[in-house]
Amino acid sequence: MISAAASASSSSATHGVRRCFLDSTMELRWVTRRSRSRNPKVEIPMLPGPPSIPICISAKSSHADPRSVRDLFVDCDLSCHRFPKLGHDGRVVVEGDFLEKLGIALANSSVVVSVFCRPEDLVSGDSEAEVVNGRELGFGRLMSRVAPSVGPGNGKLIGFGRAVSDLGLTASIYDVMVTPRLRGMGIGKMVVKRLIRILTSKDIYDIAALCSESQRPFFQACGFCDDVLCSTTMMYTRRGSLDTSEDQLVKHAGRKLLLVPLPTLKR
Amino acid sequence: MVPMAMAPSSLLSGRVLGGHFNLLNRTTLQPSSWSELAAVRRQLKVGPLKAGFWETIRSGFVKDETAQIVDPPSTVGEEEERLTEEFILLEKALPDGTTEQIIFSSGGVVDVYDLQALCDKVGWPRRPLSKLAAALKNSYLVATLHSVCKLTGSDEGEQRKLIGMARATSDHAFNATIWDVLVDPSYQGQGLGKALVENLIRTLLQRDIGNISLFADGQVVEFYRNLGFEADPEGIKGMFWYPKF
Repeated sequence: MISAAASASSSSATHGVRRCFLDSTMELRWVTRRSRSRNPKVEIPMLPGPPSIPICISAKSSHADPRSVRDLFVDCDLSCHRFPKLGHDGRVVVEGDFLEKLGIALANSSVVVSVFCRPEDLVSGDSEAEVVNGRELGFGRLMSRVAPSVGPGNGKLIGFGRAVSDLGLTASIYDVMVTPRLRGMGIGKMVVKRLIRILTSKDIYDIAALCSESQRPFFQACGFCDDVLCSTTMMYTRRGSLDTSEDQLVKHAGRKLLLVPLPTLKR
Repeated sequence: MVPMAMAPSSLLSGRVLGGHFNLLNRTTLQPSSWSELAAVRRQLKVGPLKAGFWETIRSGFVKDETAQIVDPPSTVGEEEERLTEEFILLEKALPDGTTEQIIFSSGGVVDVYDLQALCDKVGWPRRPLSKLAAALKNSYLVATLHSVCKLTGSDEGEQRKLIGMARATSDHAFNATIWDVLVDPSYQGQGLGKALVENLIRTLLQRDIGNISLFADGQVVEFYRNLGFEADPEGIKGMFWYPKF
């Protein structure tokens, strides 16, 4: 077992060396930091971090606690709004009703995938020494190496993704994110693959993901590409203004102020 | 606007998405006999995680807590979304003594066979009826247009025909995607498609759902642009998954 662990961390090309089913919706996986990306377009941030850590990936929606998900949004500087309001520091402004709306969004997402790691793995630790000097491992540390305890109860949410589907024809993937320190280890890809696996098991094959220019290489690496039917992605962005002479209704959506169409009158 | 009684499918549509999803095909871990237990043992990998194995067996005998139904936060908004909305869009008297009304309806029951026939009329490829039915049931908003012909001044001889449909999926809070907007070719050009989409947008925005997106075929990009949609706003594009075999 020690030699297996040693080979897991020294090999830079493999992910998820060992897989254990904790129950039918949770899995324990090992992720390894790659020294360089296979895809030249994907940049891996060279943040300090552990070379190989155990994570728990779960598709149980009750494991995605809205507070933890909100904290992850803040860590990643992301928002559920496509055009979020930015503060003076350039970071996303977290709106007052975000937690409540997030709870609703999670409850109404068809699939929710969460990834947890041990809190100690988030602190930059040097676990190389443990593995190389295998003989010096104590029994306790050996057990935590081969049978790590990581799960929603004792772990920190570090990866997330969700999908909304009509469970018949189509699905849309939203909010795939991984905490900045643990990027480049295949966690994001694992989340997307899990979402797809669950959707395709329900016979949904028309899976869309809206993404910005910078996120395109990631989704390309996950098997997404431009629509073969050449459809154009469009979003409602018609602007309203706050100072109106007529009875115009407007709604805030992040930093956008959208015009609400007037009710159609009978002709 | 005439609020109608709740139709069964609209009763379901709010709850289905709000309920707890346990979508994986779960191998049952509740063996009722020793032979089943042996089968479960064979399936599970008894490796370094012996503790995990016993955990799973134990949880199989404990009352199944994984299939919990999580009630969605019930707010006034949730109540609103289940009401059926219906109003007359157009009304005209025809020379043969009949009146034709075009009725907009949201949240009502849609006959899958009628919808299939309408899709055929606009020339769309056929999709399995069961999938179509599931998609309708689980869509957040389904808006329809019906043409109702009756003798002027009476309710006799009423004929109701589906002539348009639009639906949107949503997470009820931030995102919505509009799929499948269609209008019977013989009724096109009268602003009916515009009315369908505008009413969808209006309902979504009134419920504070701000990210409204759709994937438009080439020939209808201009139609949506006139309704306030922007192509690839700020570089945001939709990508689709393609299985590699």
